[in-house]
Amino acid sequence: MFKLMSILMAGFLAPEEIGTTPQSLLLLLPIVAAIAIVYKATKLPHISPGSFLKESVVLFFSIVIFMVVTAVILLGVAWFVIE
Amino acid sequence: MILARPALKENSLPFLLLVALVGWFIPGGGYFLLRETARAIIIFITVALTFGLGLYIASIGVVDPISERLWYLAQILSSPLVTVIGHFTAGGGYPVYGRPSEMGQIYTSTAGLLNLLCIVNSVHLAYVRKTQSVEQ
Repeated sequence: MFKLMSILMAGFLAPEEIGTTPQSLLLLLPIVAAIAIVYKATKLPHISPGSFLKESVVLFFSIVIFMVVTAVILLGVAWFVIE
Repeated sequence: MILARPALKENSLPFLLLVALVGWFIPGGGYFLLRETARAIIIFITVALTFGLGLYIASIGVVDPISERLWYLAQILSSPLVTVIGHFTAGGGYPVYGRPSEMGQIYTSTAGLLNLLCIVNSVHLAYVRKTQSVEQ
């Protein structure tokens, strides 16, 4: 138990290794999920598991799709400028 | 509505302040006072996990009240308990640089800003409820 606690605490005392790789962009997903969940928790008049989950998932994918579209547009602009 | 305003000022301001303060100390606590238990639990878990994930990615060194004051300002919105972490990291004993630092700052600060949204919303909810109860 003490060993487990020590390992757990050690994770908070040294930074994780995150490279500048395309995979590191996946760290976007948890924060988008947090934003979608908290926003819907504040905005829905009544919280019921079904509607809350549905609304949060819709907002989550809306944000992700918007960011992907923005990235593609920026990539296109960069390609246009370079070429 | 006109009759409701003086009663609000006399009776509910301390309660609104209490809702804001409890919501700041414990994310979602303001909603708990308003008996919105489901909302309170969802917000507490989400804000705490987001802040915790930020600390895990970047280490507690990401809470830096000396050289990263603006980030610290956003982080402290999660809870005043963040000052305890700031007390330990103020000496620079937990250095963190590069991508982990950026990600940790973004996660912990976003958790703080989300909690600010919840504080404002819970105070607004308390205000609207009081107004409705006085009107009735």
